[in-house]
Formats: sequence, C-alpha cells, structure tokens
Amino acid sequence: MVLLTPRSKRNPKISLCLGFLLSLFLFGCSDPPLPPEAGEAEKMAFALWKAEASHFAPEEYRSFETTLQAIREDLIRERSRFPWFQEYEPIAQRLRSLLKQGEEILKKVEERKEAKRLETASRLRELEGRIQGLERWSFHLNEGRLARRSLTKASLTLKEAGFALDRGKFDEAASRIAAAQRHLASAEETLLPILNRFSDRRLLRRWKSWADEAVSESRDRGNVAIVVDKLARRLVLYKEGRSYKTFGIGIGRNGLADKLRAGDGATPEGLYRVIKKLPSSRYHKALLLNYPNEEDRREFQRLKKLGRLPKGVGIGGLIEIHGGGKDGMTYGCVSLEDRQMDELFHLVPVGTPVAIVGTVFSGAAIPLPGEKQSDD
Amino acid sequence: MRSQWKYLALGMLVLALLAGCAKQPTEELTAAQKAIEDAKAAGSAKYLPDETKKLEEALAAAQNEIKTQADKFFITRSYDKAKQMLAQVKTDAEKVKGGVAAKKEEAKKNAMAEQEAANAALKEAKALLAKAPKGKGAKADIEAMKADLKAVEDGLPEIQQLIEKEDYLVALDKAKAAKEKATGVANQIKEAMEKVKGKKK
Repeated sequence: MVLLTPRSKRNPKISLCLGFLLSLFLFGCSDPPLPPEAGEAEKMAFALWKAEASHFAPEEYRSFETTLQAIREDLIRERSRFPWFQEYEPIAQRLRSLLKQGEEILKKVEERKEAKRLETASRLRELEGRIQGLERWSFHLNEGRLARRSLTKASLTLKEAGFALDRGKFDEAASRIAAAQRHLASAEETLLPILNRFSDRRLLRRWKSWADEAVSESRDRGNVAIVVDKLARRLVLYKEGRSYKTFGIGIGRNGLADKLRAGDGATPEGLYRVIKKLPSSRYHKALLLNYPNEEDRREFQRLKKLGRLPKGVGIGGLIEIHGGGKDGMTYGCVSLEDRQMDELFHLVPVGTPVAIVGTVFSGAAIPLPGEKQSDD
Repeated sequence: MRSQWKYLALGMLVLALLAGCAKQPTEELTAAQKAIEDAKAAGSAKYLPDETKKLEEALAAAQNEIKTQADKFFITRSYDKAKQMLAQVKTDAEKVKGGVAAKKEEAKKNAMAEQEAANAALKEAKALLAKAPKGKGAKADIEAMKADLKAVEDGLPEIQQLIEKEDYLVALDKAKAAKEKATGVANQIKEAMEKVKGKKK
C-alpha cells in the first residue's frame, strides 16, 4: 500500500511497473483448472481395480496403468510450469484416449468374468451331480458308509465353493472345488470298485449262468432252488423252475463284494447247496451252505500266491441263510425276517441249489453315477 | 525514485524468501502414511477394500501435489493444498480404521451366530438319528447318516479355529455349509419318521 501513494502516481514508469506486478500476482499466479478427464481417468482406474482387471486382463491393465502414470507425471510437469505457459489440451486428448481404452478393458473384464463364472458354476454342478449320484448309491450299498464321510466332506466343501462363487471370489471357489475333488476322489476309490463290478459284462454273464443253472435244476428235477440277488436285496425261491416266493434280505457288512477270506464281511458269490438245516440257530433258524466250494478255494489259493491276502488269514466258512431280520448287516450271511425264515425253512430241503449273485434282477449293467449306459 | 526501486526489490526478496523457503510437508506425509498403515494392520484391505484403495489413491494424489509444488518456480510454490490433502487422508484413514473394527465385530457376530446354528442343527440331527425308525432306515442307512454327521462334526473345530484367527468370512461359509448339511440329514430322518407313522395309521 505504501507503493500506491499519490507520490507514485506522479511517476508513470513506476505505476506501470506496479500495475504489471499486480497483474502478475492477480492473474498469472493462479493455476488454470485441470482437464476434467484427469478425474475421470482416476475413477476409471479405480473401477478397473475393483473389477479385478489385474487378474482378468493383466496385460491390458498394466498398459493402462503405465499410460496413466506417464500422464500423471506430465500433469505434474505441466502444473509446475508458470501458469501462463500451462497447456493441458494435449494431455486431455491422451486422457480421452485412455478413458476409451479403460472402457474396452472393463468390457473385456466383465466378459471374461462371466465366462469364468459360468465355467466355475458348471464345474460345481458337475461335481454336485457326481456327489449326489454316489450318495444315492451309497444308500444302496452296505459299503456306502465307508465313503459317506468323504462324500459329505466333498459336499460341504462344494457348498463353500458355491458361497465364494456367489461373492464373485473365483480363486477362492476354485481352491475349494479342488479340495472337494480330493474328497470325492477318496469316496470314489471306495465305491467305484464295487459299482464297477455291476457294470462288468463278463461278471454279469457269470452271475446269470449260475442263476440259470440253479433254476434249470429246479425245473429238470421238479424241486426247489434259491437265487439270492445281492444288489436287489432279494431272495427268490423257485419251484419246478418257476418263481414261487420272493423275500427281502439283508447281506454282509461289505456284502456287495465277493467273499475272499474270513472276516471280510462280504457275502460270497457262487453256486452253492444247502448242506444242513439248523432249526435252532443264534439267528432264529438257519440253512447252512457249502461255502467255500471248489471254485472259492481255487480263487483263495490264487490270491494268496499273489500276496493279495493278509498272511495267516483263512478262507472263512459257516455261511448261512438265517433269520434275525433283513435290516441288520451280517458278517457275510444272508438274513431274512424270522417269519419269512420259518416259511423258507419249511420249503427248502438239504441239497437245494443256491445261486448267490451280484445281480440278475436289477436289469442289465448298472450305469455308474454320471455315466450313460452303453448299448452293447 | 531510487529508494522506491529499493523498496520494491526488498519486497520481492522477502516474498521470494517466504515462498522459496516453503517447507515440504514431510511430517504430515509421514503421519498420513502411518495412519494408512495402521488401518491396513487392522485389516482394512480385507474388510473395507474399496475405502483402503481410495486412501492409497488420495495419498498418491497428495504426493503428486508435493512433487508439483517442489518443481514450481519458487515465488509461486505453496504446500498448503498438499497439507490439506494429507490431513484429509489422515482423518479418513483413522475413520477407516474405526470402520474396520465395526465391520470385524459384525463379521465375528455373524460367524458366531452361524456356528451356533450349525451346532444346534447337528445336535438336533444326532438326537433324531438316535430315535430313527429302524424299519425304514435300515442299519446301512443309519450308518451312512451317522457318517454324514461325523463329517459335519469333524469340521466344527476348524470353524472355531478360524474364528480365533479372526478369519470370520471363511468361518461363516463353513458354518453355513455345516448347518445346511446337518439340517438336510435331520430332514431325511424326519421324512422317514413320517413315512413310518403313515404306515402305522
């Protein structure tokens, strides 16, 4: 204010100088506003980060970030210049081009995310189907309990994967799917060897031949024969070659496997005969079978030589058709309700042929869970 | 006249000294950085990721402002705006840190409620299984369901461990899955019981 005294007015040079300096401070020292595209580009960078562009379009995102960083530095350089010389139009142009690039990346990211979501959801559904298939089978198989824990763990982990997928956490979902697969593989290792037996054409033919042989004998000799279908849980009594009575049965704890040795909990498969009738047994009444037969002994010796059986283990015996109820699990015998055992006991003499098979009444080969039945 | 030029030169010199000696806001910058680190250490990146990212961006913008001013002609240099920006970052980071605590508490509450629900569902399913109808639910079925519940039970300690490790979101997922499975088994048993009841009528 001292400089603007009336004294200064008297000197035009000083007034000019002061006016120049004043203009410099009033106008020249305030920065022009930044182009609005700068703020939009920062918003775009945030949107790309939030959309996980670094994961779904890494190269494109890196290129966007590099360009944006270069522009930021140019903006700093431009803003550092004396306000009169600041020029933002070239930068604004580059920012507009970058924004366009960002929109394209965003679109690409959304497309890739959707594809990933669909792929993960499809994988989830496929595994759910496999788990549900095995769960259904595990209810039919006494051995099912051995796989249930693994199956349940697979199912739980898969549910968690579903929750992660709902949150859009694809990596988390993928790692849980992988864990579910490991549990599922463990369940399949237990169940598939059993289920595979019921898809084995050679074995199915063998079972049928035993059943046919027993029924033929019944027809030819006019007596009775028994066919036990382990999978169908059915015992059919034939009289003179015709189906006469059908009973529901229980089988061994690992009943669907073929019996190989003592204590394996499996119900033997083969063509046997009733060798003794026990009117008073631990399980109501019983029909003792001639297990092991010659074929069982040969198989036992073969497996023993191959080292596939534990050392010192015997072939087992005392396989019966007995009472005690069909809902229990036996050590390998075939069990019926007491009332039905009474009926059977009355109708079956010593020497009756008994074919115990994996299945003959369940139709043809069993399609494995998630598999189509073949036509051959 | 000569004295007037002297005054002007002196004034400009004072101005230049004042502007040129403007100090960079290093203390404010350190304080803002520390506030962000504190928020992150509290778990902001996990529980409030958007807000954490915005804090980082605001800090970067403040650093750019410092750089801009440092490169400016000394007369026009001013760090006032940078200081304001850094103060805002610090305030926001402190808010985020407080928000994380609330979010964590909420997540913990949800995880624990779901854990309790899973425990209750398992308990109910086990009680139902103990009186499951033997006729329909053959021994094999009961053993299968027992195995299912055992698998659910096996997973419960892991939920507790996750809660203790403050991994509430994963704990919540696991508890939800366990509850659904246990409820599913309980429903299967209830259905079997209903069927048996129906047959007896």
